[in-house]
Amino acid sequence: MQIQLIVLSLLLCFSVIASDESEMKLLFSRYDRVMSSVSDQVEDVFSKKFLEENGGKEGFQEKIKGLAKPNFKSMPAAKDLSFKKGVKSDLYFAKYTEKRTEKSLKGSHASSQFIIVREDGKLKIDGTISDGE
Amino acid sequence: MTLKFPAFHPISPKMKIIILSLFMMTQIQAQDCVNCTPPVFDPAPEWPIEYITVKKVDYPRNEKASFCQRPPEIVDTIVLHHTETPSTKNALYINDLHLNRGTAADPWYMVAYSYLVNAPYPKESVPQSLVSEGRPIDIVGAHAGSNSFVTMDEEQSKAYTDGKITCGKEGSVFKVDPSIVRGNTIKANVTTIGLVVIGNYAPVSRQNPGGYSPRNPRYPTKDTQDMIARLSCQLQKKYPRMKNIRWHSNYNSTDCPGSIKNYVGQIVARAEELGCKFN
Repeated sequence: MQIQLIVLSLLLCFSVIASDESEMKLLFSRYDRVMSSVSDQVEDVFSKKFLEENGGKEGFQEKIKGLAKPNFKSMPAAKDLSFKKGVKSDLYFAKYTEKRTEKSLKGSHASSQFIIVREDGKLKIDGTISDGE
Repeated sequence: MTLKFPAFHPISPKMKIIILSLFMMTQIQAQDCVNCTPPVFDPAPEWPIEYITVKKVDYPRNEKASFCQRPPEIVDTIVLHHTETPSTKNALYINDLHLNRGTAADPWYMVAYSYLVNAPYPKESVPQSLVSEGRPIDIVGAHAGSNSFVTMDEEQSKAYTDGKITCGKEGSVFKVDPSIVRGNTIKANVTTIGLVVIGNYAPVSRQNPGGYSPRNPRYPTKDTQDMIARLSCQLQKKYPRMKNIRWHSNYNSTDCPGSIKNYVGQIVARAEELGCKFN
């Protein structure tokens, strides 16, 4: 009976982690499309507070217009997503970086962390914070 | 034997008026004095406030986290950062984020930087300019990168071998941690302090969606440069070994502190005007 309970709780744990992970992957695939100006579903990706702080939906879209478009075919392999839950509140910190190749190692490599919050039941990006440690 | 008391002379009405007026005058003077009394200040600050006022903040800390202590005299470098958050966030918000950032296995003790500067972006009026104290200077920060090591000088090396740099948790025995030293080098966090400007001074990118638009670049204003110079000067006045100003990307591959690094020359020049010398 005890073993069954342990197995059940482990299964529950794994399914929660898996659902967080798939939700996070979905968020960042949407993020890529928004940042490439392929999609205008900005509200699905960023929190209301973030958009307010960045000139509203239109202001933000205007700001990112000039960003170079990535090669979507190579994106799943080129990107590396990792995340962890915050210690105290319902908050996640995610790293979403381009995997470093010999070529990219020569240039600067930003390593900030995305702050993810749950808003209206969905994970959304609330900003970034410079990486320290 | 009989006792003779002096005769009691009743006070004349004229005398009564004089005494009453004198009494009223002293009352008025006493009342005036309340307004004249110099205000009572808090006990003298740690060092003379000559360059800039530093606000003390009562931060929540994670007592389960371990941290290292050092003699502040071994610090020789100020490392500049930006938080990459909006400029309107305050020191307590940054502390909260840092407390959250750790993991259960590796929690963070408190805000990673020793000083936090609030200042408005160019052409903006908020937030109000303010310098807040972060992690006390005798506690090793968490800002330059835990894998960054720098060469120790003689005094830093002596402080380590004398067991003056120790690590532990609140309420525990602090011990020397050999992992902070590799040969003749020591973790950069041990010999530096982090000075962060709250704001996002890097351009917008896929890694930094809150960055500035290339059409409207952000840079530290003259006032912000002045605040950094004054704070640096104040620190050098108390800790004369603090002679270098560097920035985050000197230690780690990062965009931090954005455009602030382009103004280090001006900050050093301003500090020189204030009578301090930085490399």
